[in-house]
Amino acid sequence: MNKKILLSIGILAVLLLAAGFAPAGQETLTIAARGGSHVDAMNAVKGEFEAANNVTIEILGLEAADLKQKIGLDSLNSTGELDLIMIDDPWMPEFAESGVMANLTEMGYVEDEDFAAASRAIGKDPYGEGDVYALPFSGNVMLFFYNKALFDSYGFDVPTDWATVLSYAEKVKADGKIGYVIRGQQGNPIVSDYLPILWSYGGNVFDQEMNVIINSAEAKSALELYMKLLENGANFEKNDIVASVSDGKAAMSLGWPSWYISGETAAAAYAPIPGKVDQTAETNGSGMIGNWMMAVTANSGKKELALQFLEFVTSAESQKIEASFGGVPTRASVLTDAELTAKYPYFPTLLEATNNSVVRPRTPLWSNVETALGTELSSAISGVKTVDQALADAVAAIEAVMEE
Amino acid sequence: MGIMKKKTSWSKLVLIVILLIWTIFPIYWMISLSVRNSDELRSAIPLLPQSFTFDHFLRLFKEKDMGNALSNSLQVTFISLFFALLFGLASAYVLSRKRLQVKISKPTLFWILLIRILPPIAFAIPLYLIMTRLGLIRTKIPIISAHIMINLAFIVWFMITFYLSLPQEIEDSARIDGATELQLFSRIVLPLVAPGIASVAILSFMTSWNEYLYGVIFVQSPKNYTIPLVLATLNSEQELAEYGLIAAGGVISLLPIMLFVIFAQNYLISGLSSGAVKE
Amino acid sequence: MSLPTIVVLAILTIFPLGYTIYYSFTNFNMLKPKAIKFIGLGNFEKILADPYFHQALGNTLKFMVLAVIIETVLGLLTALLINSLESGQKLLRTLVLLPVVLPPVTVALIWRIMLSNNYGIINKMLEAFGAAPVNWLNDVRTAFYCILVIDVWQYMPFAFLLIYASLQAVPKSQYEAAKIDGASALQQLFFITIPNIMGGIILVVLLRSIDSIRLFDKVNILTRGGPANTTATITQYIYNYGVGNYRIGYSSAGAIIMTLIVLLISSLYVSRAFKIE
Repeated sequence: MNKKILLSIGILAVLLLAAGFAPAGQETLTIAARGGSHVDAMNAVKGEFEAANNVTIEILGLEAADLKQKIGLDSLNSTGELDLIMIDDPWMPEFAESGVMANLTEMGYVEDEDFAAASRAIGKDPYGEGDVYALPFSGNVMLFFYNKALFDSYGFDVPTDWATVLSYAEKVKADGKIGYVIRGQQGNPIVSDYLPILWSYGGNVFDQEMNVIINSAEAKSALELYMKLLENGANFEKNDIVASVSDGKAAMSLGWPSWYISGETAAAAYAPIPGKVDQTAETNGSGMIGNWMMAVTANSGKKELALQFLEFVTSAESQKIEASFGGVPTRASVLTDAELTAKYPYFPTLLEATNNSVVRPRTPLWSNVETALGTELSSAISGVKTVDQALADAVAAIEAVMEE
Repeated sequence: MGIMKKKTSWSKLVLIVILLIWTIFPIYWMISLSVRNSDELRSAIPLLPQSFTFDHFLRLFKEKDMGNALSNSLQVTFISLFFALLFGLASAYVLSRKRLQVKISKPTLFWILLIRILPPIAFAIPLYLIMTRLGLIRTKIPIISAHIMINLAFIVWFMITFYLSLPQEIEDSARIDGATELQLFSRIVLPLVAPGIASVAILSFMTSWNEYLYGVIFVQSPKNYTIPLVLATLNSEQELAEYGLIAAGGVISLLPIMLFVIFAQNYLISGLSSGAVKE
Repeated sequence: MSLPTIVVLAILTIFPLGYTIYYSFTNFNMLKPKAIKFIGLGNFEKILADPYFHQALGNTLKFMVLAVIIETVLGLLTALLINSLESGQKLLRTLVLLPVVLPPVTVALIWRIMLSNNYGIINKMLEAFGAAPVNWLNDVRTAFYCILVIDVWQYMPFAFLLIYASLQAVPKSQYEAAKIDGASALQQLFFITIPNIMGGIILVVLLRSIDSIRLFDKVNILTRGGPANTTATITQYIYNYGVGNYRIGYSSAGAIIMTLIVLLISSLYVSRAFKIE
């Protein structure tokens, strides 16, 4: 037995060595990206850059939480394995604070005004005014979706305030259909679904000085409305939301454009999210922005080349090609390009919504805030806690998180 | 057990039917989703497929590089299983023989337990840094060693129970007949615990085959993706789930492991019941 | 021979374990490795005082107890049933084992499709019997039990496999002797079968306890701990408040607390199981 073991260990060792010191081929740029359409979009354009710069581009497509973990692990290396990283916009403050991203302005990058202003602001540290650290790769902003046929049969116009949304929902519900579908799963879904309503009511999670104000009168009214919408509707998971609104079983929902719209076909009609409480109220920004950004890592060994690729992949020419592989442009010139808007009629709506969008609170602790808020909102809509109780508990939990 | 056999065969049949429906229905559902076209999957899904297509399978291989992932998964699983069994079967035997290792047996078990309990990220940080420094992070070595680690601990722990159930007399009589320790182990002990080896091999294969947490930490190149990594990218909150692809991915993942289970099963009933120990 | 194994395991575990213990007493953040500071029992105090952790702990223990009992009992019954068949054992064994070999992500998603309150097949069937559709995964009354049922579906075969393997090792001569003594089937079960497969049963209980206490995949995909935190688990808590935003110090402390709980629970079985002879 011992001989066999020794032999095997020997073979293993040789294998390890052989694999470990396999000859390094061409220069490689490694990109950690969110799996799915983003990877397809980049793969569609990378060939030109590879040929021009004699480099191989390797794209790691990962599920969002795993992507975040991978970026963190690699930041511990003195020279990183990752040269470019894709970043969900709420992660930006966390990464900016800890120096994970290379300062593009210092590297000589000149800001490009063609990117939608709201998207550009996310890539700067401090938010909106500092140096550029990341460029917007994929434009995304929540929209209001509705079933056109159902709306027409009732003679509804596109609502611009929540009182109207509720009255529509009640009418539809009275006929035995689903008025409004909420995305009420605990965690990110319910928070993303509730915040646009909260903002419409003029409320927010934090005030200017980062005091927690989620138990404000506005927040309570917004949550009460949210629960009334649920009474006149249903609580579905995103695939069911899209299915039910598309086929007319349900009338309205909020959602990310990529769920409903793939290429040239939209499964439901869309509009910017209503921004006011009722017809007489003032309009607030309510469309949640959810851009995916891309940055060069601070510990990349090939920063210059990485920046070149970053500019290449977010250029107007690339974005036009990426659009047909599920990419969502972030440049005004592309979103208003006549040829593209003929093919993708939702692009101008997207640009409009982006220009009026609201960004989630800029704090490095956002993910914990979201978890806590999501738990309490879920407790409220399932009737375990009253609205007052849930929001009071949310304040306590978020304050505990922010103590860090 | 023989007495129960004839008297209650009809009630047994009922139980078996219930068992099968319970077990098979979700699997039937997966297979049936994988062969329906995307339109049929969009809203109400009828019990029986109304359409038939291999489109989802083709797309997985064409767009998601499933062929490559399949070959990576096979490599990682078989290499790690081989080494884990090699070390594990022998070590468990030594540990189970009380006379040899009274003192270290229990701490070792607790230690093995820890590997299973601690979250992978705790292990991953130091391992990741070490592997990067050694220049091995872009190879399959980190992932293979992680699999060996998880399975080795499991195999040792699992097999101890089986070794412990062996009657001491068999080994004693073999020793009297002049067998060396090696002969004793490979000719007498191993065949006796064959059902245990078969089940531990199935379970280890399964762990490796479906292992995700370490895989995602150590993968550094799309060339090294295993099946679970590909499957995970099919599901995200940001994009609509394509149930056809997900189901087809499940079916592809199921086939190799099913073959392995059928193969390993043959050893489940050999060993003791085949007559080695009739006392 | 056990030496190489022990060396391999030592290298692969002592360092990580040491790090975990060390980190648990610090505020270590993966993105800010330079700012690491020793904070004594700070992490532990915070976790133990957190009401969300208490909920997660309660859910996890309840889940563990129910899952282990149901899976073991059903696994035992299935093993006895299949073992008593004269033909078709091999086919049945393979079919019964299928759920346990499926990738966890796929299992969760397939069940999500079936449990959907929009078009799910389960609600469809209920409707056929005139029942109202249930929002399985979003109702505080059902979500926890759905996760439990899915876990039982997937891991009962695991219990079955181990117990079935142990059944193969029960010496036939004992049954023959019992038959001669006129023992009933039930007597045979309790006086011969069960004592002989006790090792296997304990192993099942132990392994399922450890694995079910780590419950994460299903919850993460299907409910994210909701509704109203009724399906939140310890691992998910550690993930949400620790690993997920790089607070490795905090998550290490959570991991150690969880490890201690598992050790406490399992030492009850381990000392029984390995008292040896």
